[in-house]
Amino acid sequence: METSQNHLGAASLDLTQVSSGDEVRVRHLACSPTTCQRLREMGFCENALVTKIRGGADLVCWVCGTRVALSARLAKQILVEHVDGKS
Amino acid sequence: MSQDSPKRWIAVVGNPNAGKSTLFNALTGLRQRVGNYPGVTVEKHTGTAFTLHGEAVELIDLPGMYSMAARSPDEEIAVKVLLGESAGLPKPDAVLCVVDASNLERNLFLVTQVMELGLPVLVALNMVDVAEARGIRLHPDQLSEKLGVSFIPTQAHRGKGLVELRAALGQRLLKPGPRQWTMPPPLAVAVGQIASAWRQSEPSELRAEGKALELLAGSDVGPDGARKLATAWRERFRKEAYDWSASVVHARYEYVRKMLGEAGIGSGKLGGTWTDWIDAVVLHPVAGWAVLVGMMLILFMSIFSIAAYPMGWIDGAFTWLGGTIQNALPAGMLRDLLIDGILAGVGGVVIFLPQILILFFFLGLLEDSGYLARAAFLLDRVMHRVGLSGKSFIPLLSSYACAIPGIMATRTVEDPKDRLTTILVAPLMSCSARIPVYTTLLAAAVPVALVPVWGKATAMLGLYVLGTGTAFILAWLFRKKLLGGGSPPLILELPPYRMPSFQTVSLRMWERAILFLRRAGTVILALSIVLWFLSSFPNTSDDPTDKLAGSFAGQMGHGLEPILRPLGFDWRIGIGLVASLAAREVFVSTMSIVYHVGGEEEGLVTAMRSATWPDGALIYTPLTCLALLVFYVYALQCLSTVAVAKRETGGWKWPIFMLLYMTGLAYLAAWLVQGVGRALGFS
Repeated sequence: METSQNHLGAASLDLTQVSSGDEVRVRHLACSPTTCQRLREMGFCENALVTKIRGGADLVCWVCGTRVALSARLAKQILVEHVDGKS
Repeated sequence: MSQDSPKRWIAVVGNPNAGKSTLFNALTGLRQRVGNYPGVTVEKHTGTAFTLHGEAVELIDLPGMYSMAARSPDEEIAVKVLLGESAGLPKPDAVLCVVDASNLERNLFLVTQVMELGLPVLVALNMVDVAEARGIRLHPDQLSEKLGVSFIPTQAHRGKGLVELRAALGQRLLKPGPRQWTMPPPLAVAVGQIASAWRQSEPSELRAEGKALELLAGSDVGPDGARKLATAWRERFRKEAYDWSASVVHARYEYVRKMLGEAGIGSGKLGGTWTDWIDAVVLHPVAGWAVLVGMMLILFMSIFSIAAYPMGWIDGAFTWLGGTIQNALPAGMLRDLLIDGILAGVGGVVIFLPQILILFFFLGLLEDSGYLARAAFLLDRVMHRVGLSGKSFIPLLSSYACAIPGIMATRTVEDPKDRLTTILVAPLMSCSARIPVYTTLLAAAVPVALVPVWGKATAMLGLYVLGTGTAFILAWLFRKKLLGGGSPPLILELPPYRMPSFQTVSLRMWERAILFLRRAGTVILALSIVLWFLSSFPNTSDDPTDKLAGSFAGQMGHGLEPILRPLGFDWRIGIGLVASLAAREVFVSTMSIVYHVGGEEEGLVTAMRSATWPDGALIYTPLTCLALLVFYVYALQCLSTVAVAKRETGGWKWPIFMLLYMTGLAYLAAWLVQGVGRALGFS
């Protein structure tokens, strides 16, 4: 059975470490189950493509065709990888 | 359908801000509140729509939801209605899903869940103009074919697609076919076994799979066999660290993405839009705050400068009316009642209508443009420091208009402790009913002619900042020290900006004007008559001041004076404070009656500025006015707020706490202002 834990090795960044304008793929969510589920329902599910629009204390991301604001501490719990292979 | 058939009930569901209420209003002719931010609708509303064949169907407009797993009180309302568990409403006969065509991937995620309820489904593909402007090519026929339910393109705000929608509502709506997304293997086995056990006990159950998923999620409603199996599987998944709920979301999204890809529907381009350009400024950590403060300053300057003209006209009209009555009626009780009671009380409050409408005009612009969610984003950092998330800021900002919709809007806040904290501090945000009190007391504190408009606007802004700042400090105290626990992280959708609708904004102003005038014509009129009676009888003297002092109201005021004296308030202010316990603006009408000034604002200010203590010292010194202003910033003084807090918290405990802490805070703060001011040599 493939679990989300298997993705951790590939995920070297959290969303706060990504530059604005970069497109990344969600690898793993490391938040509480309830928050994880809400994130997934809003489009931040594993393998989803996310573009970071704006960084700072809080972030704005583009996911599933909408802009979603996230607090930085939540963004730290979203582990991602670059889709173009850059680290 | 025969005329004798019972009415069909159709639930209108969809993601927040998908245009459900706009479509509901267009179909029913009703005027439910709409706006451009997630969470405008927090309550279910019903209305009658007619199909093209004239059949009446009952539509139920529901709060927005991202999934069937409700996480906030407003989402719970929507889910209960869909499951037929809402008191007072039948289970819907069908569902009208409203989806934002510019954001199909996430919107169709919810549709796949709704399709599993076993009800006929019709999909309104709303905002097709926005989607096309973003380069998204829509293929409704292909979507209909792939999902097995009808998709009707609409632009609810322009009334487009309504004929087709009414026609579709008149036809027999399609029940979705079997589930099309592929359940991951370990979960499929579990759901298959649980659903099979359910069907053995209840062969007529049509949505056993959906119920099996609910059992896995923790529901305890179902046959014994199915429940035991669900418990066993849940335990097994836990041991294997298999996040089955994540796999369900993942599988649904995979299906939606694949289906959209096959239908040739992309997700649109990012960048280069008005929204991106505006966001670059309003979300900037420095420029964003400058924009926010600048907008508030413009709001308050408008309240004083633009509103001055219509206020002058209303003032003139009441002065003319008073003069006409004075000339037409002989001296006596009836003339006194009309001029000193009704005109003074009602006119004293109605004069502030233009200022209140300007506030609602600005709030309407913020709500309808999409800026409100940005303000919440900007303030999230501040809110986080006090233990709340930026999401709580939207109810707090709504409370600037009135605490009642503000408290109702807390239903969008998911965390119960966050929600309670937001309810407890919402009445500290200065509502529109405080505007008459603030304006009158600011004018009494400093001669109007000496202060420029920007000075008055800054002073008003200062009172708003005082209330808001205190709300944040107390939120921290309540959230961290009283209720405990950490603040939830912010997850908030930022809708694209749009040009505010003149119709929506003016409708909101119109509704507020009607509400305000109705209140003036009922509650304030009744209180004015009662107060005129209490301040006129028993008639112990011909001298107006002695007559008031000897009246019932005067006796009550004198009884209160020992408690109020440390604050610098005399017995006449005491009458105003008691009379305005039900509604703050009654303070102004009460003082107009107490000082016998008819309905004129300037007359009241002049009378207050010349009022003295028995030793000849002025009562309304700048310091006393400041203490009184601070008292009104903090005091609850609104019975409707207490009632709505009782309903939203489910008991009397928290409303009573709210009343006590706010009254105590108001008294303490006014006493401190007076004490510290005097110690510093002010009078």
